[in-house]
Amino acid sequence: MTTLETYPITVGNVTRHVPLVETLPGMRIPLIEFLGDTELVEEAARLLKERVPEEAEMLFSLECSPVPLVHRLAQLTELPYVVARKRRRAYMEDPLIQEVPSLTLGASDTLWLDRRWAERIMNRKVALVMDVVSSGGTMKALDRLVQRAGGKVVGRLAVFQQGKREFDGEVDYLYEIPIL
Amino acid sequence: MRTYPVEIAGVRRELPVVPVGEDVAVALLNLLGDTELTEAVADEMARRLPEGAQVLVTPEVKAVPLAHALSVRTGLPYVVARKTAKPYMRNPVTREVVSITTGKPQLLVLDGADVDKIRGKKVVIVDDVVSTGSTLKGLRELIESVGGEVVGVLAVFTEGNPRDDVIALGHLPLFKPEE
Repeated sequence: MTTLETYPITVGNVTRHVPLVETLPGMRIPLIEFLGDTELVEEAARLLKERVPEEAEMLFSLECSPVPLVHRLAQLTELPYVVARKRRRAYMEDPLIQEVPSLTLGASDTLWLDRRWAERIMNRKVALVMDVVSSGGTMKALDRLVQRAGGKVVGRLAVFQQGKREFDGEVDYLYEIPIL
Repeated sequence: MRTYPVEIAGVRRELPVVPVGEDVAVALLNLLGDTELTEAVADEMARRLPEGAQVLVTPEVKAVPLAHALSVRTGLPYVVARKTAKPYMRNPVTREVVSITTGKPQLLVLDGADVDKIRGKKVVIVDDVVSTGSTLKGLRELIESVGGEVVGVLAVFTEGNPRDDVIALGHLPLFKPEE
């Protein structure tokens, strides 16, 4: 049994020693989990609030790990939020379907946005919210969904930038975390 | 669009009634994106929290904002049962449940790291809508299989048949799809 190596992650006044996981041979990343960490989410939302552009009228994110964060941020900023889903649901009507651009072949995700939710984005100024951004492919997919729904992206926010971003689009993040 | 009016914890909503199969339509509750309702429900649930609760468990994903809001109020940690196993999970524990409405199998997965938070603890399950109870049954079995004790279930709504094993803030009927 090997001891799990950890890496210290700090958000404001909250520090977590998170496991280092090997995603590819010889490449290890700190595994950050916002789901189930109430204190970390509260602190991140408090700090991220300062980065939400003044003109933003709505927040947009995706399931599942950023959900508590975007909920809390929506509450703090008094802005509505919408979440794209990763699976089609039976009740969805005429959803927008968006592939997540990926650098690794065969590892692509799809995002689904019910038409009812897309309509809420139309003509709105939208800030995108994520917990961790790596290549930026998911952020890009959120960006395209907002455009397709007739909204305008006015900010791209994240708590962490992990490694180097490969897709275009500036991201306003709180902290960088390394790939080891 | 057909809607069904509800009042939950003092908040009124017109829920869209949407078909989910050949013979049935449901009033669609969506806590995702509804901050006001989520917070009001969390206030009410915090008052009704079963005695002795030590940890909350919620299925991915619609009840996740609610679990967070309830965790903030009660100081209890929460664990999310995922619907797929993730490559980064350590020693995940899974349970397959079959949805009675869709007939499709659904996986419930606990990360090994989360199992430690449940073992030997008094657990309260938090969900948005309990309908046939298939997810609830799967969650119960999953929690008990890792040594947790389910001391209560909190839901915004029960749906279809009323049930006395769930503390619900309201009840939703099932609907016929429109002709």
